[in-house]
Amino acid sequence: MLSYLIKRLIALVPVLLGLTVIVFAIMALIPGDPATAILGSFATPENVEKLNRDLGLDKPQVQQYLIWLGNLLQGDLGRSYSLNRPVLDEVLERFSATLILAGAALLLCTIWGLLIGIWTAARQYGWTDKILTFVVLIGISVPSFWLGLLLILLFAVELRWLPASGMFAIYGGGDLPDLLRHLILPALTLSVVATGVIARLTRSAMLEVLRQDFIRTARAKGVSETRVLYGHAFKAALVSIIPVIGVQAGFVLGGAVYIETVFQWPGVGRMLVQAISTRDILLVQGGVIVVAASYVLFNLLADLSQSWLDPRVKA
Amino acid sequence: MVTLKLILRNRLAAFGGIVLLAVCCVALLAPLLPLADPDITDPVNRLKRPFSDGALLGTDHLGRDLLSRLIWGTRLSLAVGIAAALIAAFIGSAIGIVAGFYGGRIDDLTMRGIDMLMAFPYILLALAIVAVLGPGLLNALYAVAVVNIPFFARNIRGVTVSIAHREFVDAARLSGMGRLRIIWSEILPNVLPVIVIAMSTTIGWMILETAGLSFLGLGSQPPQADLGSMLGEGRKLLINAPHASIVPGVMIFVIVMSVNLLGDGVRDALDPRLRAGALSRPAAATRVERPSPPAAGKTDALLQVVDLQTEFQVGPRTYKAVGGVDFEVAPGECLGLIGESGSGKSVTALSLLGLVASPPGVIAGGAVRLDGEDTLSMNGEALRRVRGGRVAYVFQDPLATLHPLYRVGDQMVEAIRSHRPLSRQEAWNHSVALLEKVRIPNAAARAKAYPHELSGGMRQRVGIALALVNDPDLVIADEPTTALDVTVQAQVLALLDELRRERNMALIFITHDFGVVAQLCDRVAVMYAGRIVETGPTEEVLAAPRHPYTRRLIACVPELGGGRRALSAIPGLPPPVDALPAGCAFAPRCDKAQNACRQGEVVLQSCGMRAVRCLFPEGATP
Amino acid sequence: MKKLSPWALGLAAVALAAPAALAQTPPNVLVVGQIAEPKSLDPHAVTAVNDFRILMNVYDGLVRYKDGTLEVEPSLASSWSISEDGTEYTFELRQGVTFHDGTPVNAAAVEFNFDRMLDESHPFHDTGPFPLSFFFSAVEDVEALDDDTVKFTLNAPYAPFLSNLAYPTGLIVSPEAVKTHGADFGRNPAGSGPFKFAEWESNAKVVVVRNEDYWGGAPSLEAIVFRPITDANTRVAEMLSGGIDIMVEVPPDSVATFDGNGFQLHEQAGPHLWFLILNAKEGPFADKRVRQAVNYAIDKKALVEQILQGTAEVASGPTPPAFAWAYNDALQPYPHNPEKAKALLEEAGHAGAELTFYVTEGGSGMLDPVPMGAAIQADLAKVGLDVKIETYEWNTFLGQVNPGLEGKADMAEMAWMTNDPDTLPYLALRTEAWPDKGGFNSGYYSNPEVDKLLEAARSATDQAERARLYKEMQAIVYEDAPWAFIANWKQNAATSERVSNFKLQPSFFLLLKDVSKS
Repeated sequence: MLSYLIKRLIALVPVLLGLTVIVFAIMALIPGDPATAILGSFATPENVEKLNRDLGLDKPQVQQYLIWLGNLLQGDLGRSYSLNRPVLDEVLERFSATLILAGAALLLCTIWGLLIGIWTAARQYGWTDKILTFVVLIGISVPSFWLGLLLILLFAVELRWLPASGMFAIYGGGDLPDLLRHLILPALTLSVVATGVIARLTRSAMLEVLRQDFIRTARAKGVSETRVLYGHAFKAALVSIIPVIGVQAGFVLGGAVYIETVFQWPGVGRMLVQAISTRDILLVQGGVIVVAASYVLFNLLADLSQSWLDPRVKA
Repeated sequence: MVTLKLILRNRLAAFGGIVLLAVCCVALLAPLLPLADPDITDPVNRLKRPFSDGALLGTDHLGRDLLSRLIWGTRLSLAVGIAAALIAAFIGSAIGIVAGFYGGRIDDLTMRGIDMLMAFPYILLALAIVAVLGPGLLNALYAVAVVNIPFFARNIRGVTVSIAHREFVDAARLSGMGRLRIIWSEILPNVLPVIVIAMSTTIGWMILETAGLSFLGLGSQPPQADLGSMLGEGRKLLINAPHASIVPGVMIFVIVMSVNLLGDGVRDALDPRLRAGALSRPAAATRVERPSPPAAGKTDALLQVVDLQTEFQVGPRTYKAVGGVDFEVAPGECLGLIGESGSGKSVTALSLLGLVASPPGVIAGGAVRLDGEDTLSMNGEALRRVRGGRVAYVFQDPLATLHPLYRVGDQMVEAIRSHRPLSRQEAWNHSVALLEKVRIPNAAARAKAYPHELSGGMRQRVGIALALVNDPDLVIADEPTTALDVTVQAQVLALLDELRRERNMALIFITHDFGVVAQLCDRVAVMYAGRIVETGPTEEVLAAPRHPYTRRLIACVPELGGGRRALSAIPGLPPPVDALPAGCAFAPRCDKAQNACRQGEVVLQSCGMRAVRCLFPEGATP
Repeated sequence: MKKLSPWALGLAAVALAAPAALAQTPPNVLVVGQIAEPKSLDPHAVTAVNDFRILMNVYDGLVRYKDGTLEVEPSLASSWSISEDGTEYTFELRQGVTFHDGTPVNAAAVEFNFDRMLDESHPFHDTGPFPLSFFFSAVEDVEALDDDTVKFTLNAPYAPFLSNLAYPTGLIVSPEAVKTHGADFGRNPAGSGPFKFAEWESNAKVVVVRNEDYWGGAPSLEAIVFRPITDANTRVAEMLSGGIDIMVEVPPDSVATFDGNGFQLHEQAGPHLWFLILNAKEGPFADKRVRQAVNYAIDKKALVEQILQGTAEVASGPTPPAFAWAYNDALQPYPHNPEKAKALLEEAGHAGAELTFYVTEGGSGMLDPVPMGAAIQADLAKVGLDVKIETYEWNTFLGQVNPGLEGKADMAEMAWMTNDPDTLPYLALRTEAWPDKGGFNSGYYSNPEVDKLLEAARSATDQAERARLYKEMQAIVYEDAPWAFIANWKQNAATSERVSNFKLQPSFFLLLKDVSKS
């Protein structure tokens, strides 16, 4: 088990290294440079050249990458051009905000997705099933950024029940209830699509499992129907649902960009979009590494819980 | 054609299809419709509300007609979404097929690459691609396509791997076909449905993503309208002019929704498993739809089955799997239920406690009386108490019938605690004792094993132990030895017989093998096409079968030590149970059949302990 | 109250039962809705107006703009003298002023500030980079004559020098703080301004508190919170829901919302010009008549009144009216005259020409570039010009436009905010400012007369003389039409009723010293 874990973590390294090469290459291909971004209207070729020299960007790309890589091995992710602070500080701060948002969304979508999936499977072709299936379909069809706007319009602007944006109130905030109030709308918006996906998958996985022979065995044993559903069928269905939750975790992290933009959530997705537009290559690198690593770790977590759940899968 | 019909039969899918078709038609006809020019600005009349004069849906921030822009924008967004889906499907599938078919290093390398792409936050990949290629809807299209390639590559690779090792592919290889030709003529046709399913489920997603990129300002170039950029423009006016964002938002929603509905329909129609009868959840107990239970006859039997009829309703067809079965089992008695596969013996056994999957199964008539009480009229809780309590089942193939994720001991504990208020520890001890009883060596350790960790014989013993946990009065064993090799089979049979005698437990033993019946059963009932055709004490039936079918069935058994004897298989197949012939169901295969056999109902005629359903029974003078 | 949309009315009953609205901001603490997270609080390291809004309240410069004008007045320097040839500036410093960290504001500190920026061998030059240091590229030497006197020596007479000193790049930072924090000075700033830096929580807020010892008298506010809210809608929503007290850069379509209704709207025209660069080197715009035709064809009035909702005024020439002393008020904006435009195009033989038009998606001072671009495209279509728009995100856009439009495009959007009438024409209209020579003349306009006037105005020290030269330059440029002159932005801000004494400045800076809040 432990050696498996170590092997998986080691396998992560080449993936991340490959990613950093891709990021460097892409950033090199994008027209414009950090100096132009910083200078804005004042970006004369002369000024740009001088600033690039000051920033150490006049060296060949390959050399720049190797320098960066060398620093990375010493735990130094460099300093952001556009924010004037260490990349690591910024990335960690932003990433924890994203984790809170994505984590809450993931929690919501997992709980609701599984519950809706089980309910609809248990009441197949009944009214609950029909209504919930339709609601789920609406959920996966609605553009999440648009939904976010509508929610802001309703709950923040018109009703004034919840804050429109940000992570904490400016004054009197900063505690957990404050965070939760700010979290409700964005987490909800972010979770809608994933809830739909998980619910649909859970429903079909449950239906598939419920036709299996061992369910008949459970019934033949006289096990109560509740236990048949939540114990036997759900446990077996979970084996095929967990990898999908892992994939959804990746989508939730990725989709956070829109939601962070709409709700002004200070997350890593928005940071990356800004970093790309300011050509802040080191910040992009730092952000991509963290996001990609967490994506891979989410999947690893999914694999681990799958093998924990299913003794047939050898970890 | 069939597929289309299946899609249309699904009402929601049909609805989605119609809406999508309507949207597409309007979009395609845009140049012919009497619309305002979508790009003509009129700043004075900007942000007019919907339903105002001259602008049905109002105007946008430059005074352009929203209806016109909506329709032209829909045209563009649809085209882009579909094109992106096609490109992603084409390239992704190609990669998936190549990786899956060639395997080895090619597979490894491509899949690592795909992993890397998947780990890259998809929206950033799209952003970066657009940043490199420059803005424009076409570039956004490429970005969305590229981002979705991994999805297709992974799915298709999985399917290809499973196909690449199938017999027909091996055959094609041996016949000297080139690899490309194999891919083209053997793999592709089999992978295609999966590609279509994947496409139908992702196309809505593609439209959303393209809209998302446009929303972030990376899509179409002004003044050209697409739905995403309209939404993006409208978003800036969210508070003052919500209609500017609500109109395109609703349109995206309608399109994606109808695509999803249609996509679900396509998936249901193309997926072979779903096609075989929609995935439907079997109810806790088989549905009972009988006119009224037949009157209870006086009997001291433990179990009395009267005119049991079980049907499967699949689409317009009704399969009469059990067409009126009567039998009784006395306490401690062992009844053999024998017949070919498809004769209805297993369905009969499952019907006794309502375990036939429903839908599609329906019990259409008859009664099953346990000590005089009809199990078919029992409510859920009463039925649950009988199941695994007084009546227990042993199933065929315990690898499938035991829950793969629970330890066998826990499965037994659960069966015990569903019926008796024992503590977990007591139940566990009891289970281990039972496992010892069924001669599982090292039972205490084996109780902690998962089913897949045991051998076939061990698993079947666990299955038997599982049936015995609550000391049942009746055990129904459904071909419990079929999957086992001969020596193990003999051991298991001996075990069953011993247990039955020791505990004075009645046993219904279902098999297709007369040899087994001879070894175990007091009485035997022979089933054919859903009915009992002959019944009687085992020795008598074996010695002098009355029904031609019984005779032929007995002839199939090789006698131990009997040397080489001609095993005469029965020519022909049993009749399909949705189209039973009139008269005797065996008549078409019977060498003694006469015209009378093919007309009218043949009744089960009793004669002492025996009964036969034949107009011209064996041994009788014609 | 603002209009309730119907579906919200449906929920009105529920709303009544809802918990009280969001907490109000506390009294005497002003919450400002900024448009972005600041890059740094080191005034020498930043370029964005957004950052200037904070910095101008934390730091002082040697000089500053007089309230409501763009003319300089004493600040940290109580007086100054200029040598005859205009190359030596000597400043007398105000006495007894200290930085927030307690160290004195003296001549040595001033010298440290400019050396850090300009001298590449200065030990703290690596705490940069200092992108706008070229504002002082004319400075050859800075010398502390005694504790309170500092002398700047320029390599040539440079009239805008004082004005540049009033710009944020000329703000004076505490040398001790720079030495202590090094490259992190931008996050631990110390100046001598009316407010002291207190806290910077990334992506959430920057807090500054009252400087009780401010030499100009302590401000009335206890503290100011600058909160970055990049999305304009969200900013509006926050303002409406009471989460912020001041909102800058109100989107045009929300202006009406804040006019009254418990809010106050402030407007102030500034030294801003929104224009189209026309590629005079090649293609149809090489012909002056076509360039004029474009100026006639665009309905500028509709642009500023409808699309910008009155947040800008129609521009008449290259110099914004905010530079009142240098502005040539004899020039009237090109009228909207499609017929004349068509005639000019016919005459030049370029009717129905195909043009490529670079549009940006956003950017400093660009107002609403995409809708403006689309509307201009539509106006030009009405006179028969076939304009193809290409939009770029701001940095890419600059990367495309600044090196020159040759071979790529015929026209491009552009906007400048400057602090001196010299800056824009000098950097973007001279022949010597063509992109290959390091300037911003991306449209390759060239008129020797204009070149001569601009050089003369730069070295003249007499303001009346400079004004005459600039006015003459404007008349020529107006006629040559190297650009299409579109709009001068009126900066705006909305404040809640609780805020008083708030005033916008033509410099676009946000000065909050005198503001109070109940």
